[in-house]
Amino acid sequence: MRTLSGRMPRRQARVAPSEHEPSGPLLRVEHVRLGYWTARQFTVAVEDVSFDVEAGERIIVIGPSGCGKSTLLKAIAGFIEPAGGLIQMAGRTSLAPGPDRAVVFQEFDQLFPWRSVLSNVAYPLRVNGHRRRAAIAKARQYLELTNLAHAADRYPHQLSGGMKQRVAIARALALDPTLLLMDEPFGSLDAITRQRLQTELNRIVEQTRVTLLFVTHSIEEALVLGDRIVVLGDAPSRVIATVDIRGLGGPETVEYSQMRGRLRELLAVDKEEVEEIGGLE
Amino acid sequence: MAVSSSAASIPRRPAAFGWARIPAIVRYPLVGAVLVAAWHYYAVHKGSLFMATPWQTVQEFWHGWRNGSLSEPTWATLRLLLEGIGIGAAIAAVLTAFATLSKIGEDALVLLTAVLNPLPGVAVLPIAMLLFGLNESAVRFVIANATIWPIAIAVSTGFKTANQTLVAVGRNVGLSRVRVITDVLAPAALPQAISGVRTAWAFGWRTIIAAELVFGVAGSSGGLGNYINNARQYFLTPQVFAGLLTIAILGVVFETLFGQLERRTVIRWGMKTS
Ligand SMILES: Nc1ncnc2c1ncn2[C@@H]1O[C@H](COP(=O)(O)OP(=O)(O)OP(=O)(O)O)[C@@H](O)[C@H]1O
Ligand SMILES: [Mg+2]
Repeated sequence: MRTLSGRMPRRQARVAPSEHEPSGPLLRVEHVRLGYWTARQFTVAVEDVSFDVEAGERIIVIGPSGCGKSTLLKAIAGFIEPAGGLIQMAGRTSLAPGPDRAVVFQEFDQLFPWRSVLSNVAYPLRVNGHRRRAAIAKARQYLELTNLAHAADRYPHQLSGGMKQRVAIARALALDPTLLLMDEPFGSLDAITRQRLQTELNRIVEQTRVTLLFVTHSIEEALVLGDRIVVLGDAPSRVIATVDIRGLGGPETVEYSQMRGRLRELLAVDKEEVEEIGGLE
Repeated sequence: MAVSSSAASIPRRPAAFGWARIPAIVRYPLVGAVLVAAWHYYAVHKGSLFMATPWQTVQEFWHGWRNGSLSEPTWATLRLLLEGIGIGAAIAAVLTAFATLSKIGEDALVLLTAVLNPLPGVAVLPIAMLLFGLNESAVRFVIANATIWPIAIAVSTGFKTANQTLVAVGRNVGLSRVRVITDVLAPAALPQAISGVRTAWAFGWRTIIAAELVFGVAGSSGGLGNYINNARQYFLTPQVFAGLLTIAILGVVFETLFGQLERRTVIRWGMKTS
């Protein structure tokens, strides 16, 4: 069970999908400024954030609570219009929400309560032109992938929190997104479930080769799941650092603990939180 | 079984002895028997011209449903009521959808509800009679008016309080704005919609019976309110009571139907606790 205690073996070379223009990144975030209108004034949540995501990459966005990670993800998903800067996806800049950027939200209640687990995964496929049978077959396949085949006929309120998140992940993956956006999907789970799901997610990403943008505030999670880590500062946030962790050894290596130490410094995290996350092995 | 997360599952202190320990199937008939007995003695005391006894009522009820003298007015009233509620629910749905899609629609709905909802259903009948004449359309109009507003209020509350994450998910998987309404907001608002229709049903009942009692309109055949009013004029007191019994039974029947509907939908989906 080496995967449980840490990183999956890295892929050495990734094949870039050929759907979009061969040159240039899949996603380009350039000097993006984001905020909310509250009581006639604009509150800035994200001051100035830039980074690129290549096709096939796993990008982690990490930062303290309230720094604007979800805001950034919602902007990339097309729910929030940038007040400044540019978000470009496969060459396009005016981004309406769409299944090419499937989102797994931070909230647990993101499943349709009136649909069974199977239907929650199959229905978006129907919306996107799959025939009934094809949609159901594909939904089953992805429920299999997330170890939920046995719960296909249940309703969401009959699932545990972790199971709900897995359904949401299956639903997002089944849409074959160009970019999978995940907002702290394991944030409110216990440490054991979280580690299991991280392992599962790594396996799934290997298998489907989807490009991943994953938001978290856990350093451990970032190291387990990422190719590169974008570190955000406090709100109104900027990018503090972008760290490439491809080829980093497992948690037992010196390199790994150095990297963890560096990220810890960048985020100025309390020791306790890190202990809690790391203390399971 | 799965533990339901409702406040309703807070255990009530079990009664150590007495009434609450008797099973419900015994408790309700007992209370019922006492009430029927009270009714009986009051009726005997009052005289059969003014009060029918329970037994006379049941006999008349049976008789009226066998020979059609009671069932026909009942069906006539029910048909009109359902038509009126159908029209009202359809208009309410369109208004709410329109209010969700545009600001003007929302303003219109807010204004209309504020002005028209407080009006007692029957109060509109004189206008309806001027507009449509003394016929069924006038009644349909009145019922529709009495049902649109409770349904519209309930559904738009449901839309407004719908989980925004679900709306975001709907848009994320590629739903158009109209399909977000039909496929996400509408089912999300179902608990409120059902209770809105329930209220509308009660309003509609009161309104149609009152309309028939007061104005005697319900088309050519005459409805249940008419039946009761006629019986009163000729001192056919058991018929008056049989009519009332019919209304009461129908109330229980529809309450049960709504309960079933909820059990099969919103309760099954965990959107409402039983
Ligand atoms: N709908 C909203 N209206 C107004 N302000 C908001 C809204 N949503 C978020 N904010 C503000 O924007 C800032 C960033 O919020 P955001 O949810 O993006 O943080 P986050 O980094 O995802 O935090 P967490 O890790 O706790 O999820 C916060 O200060 C928050 O108060
Ligand atoms: Mg967040």
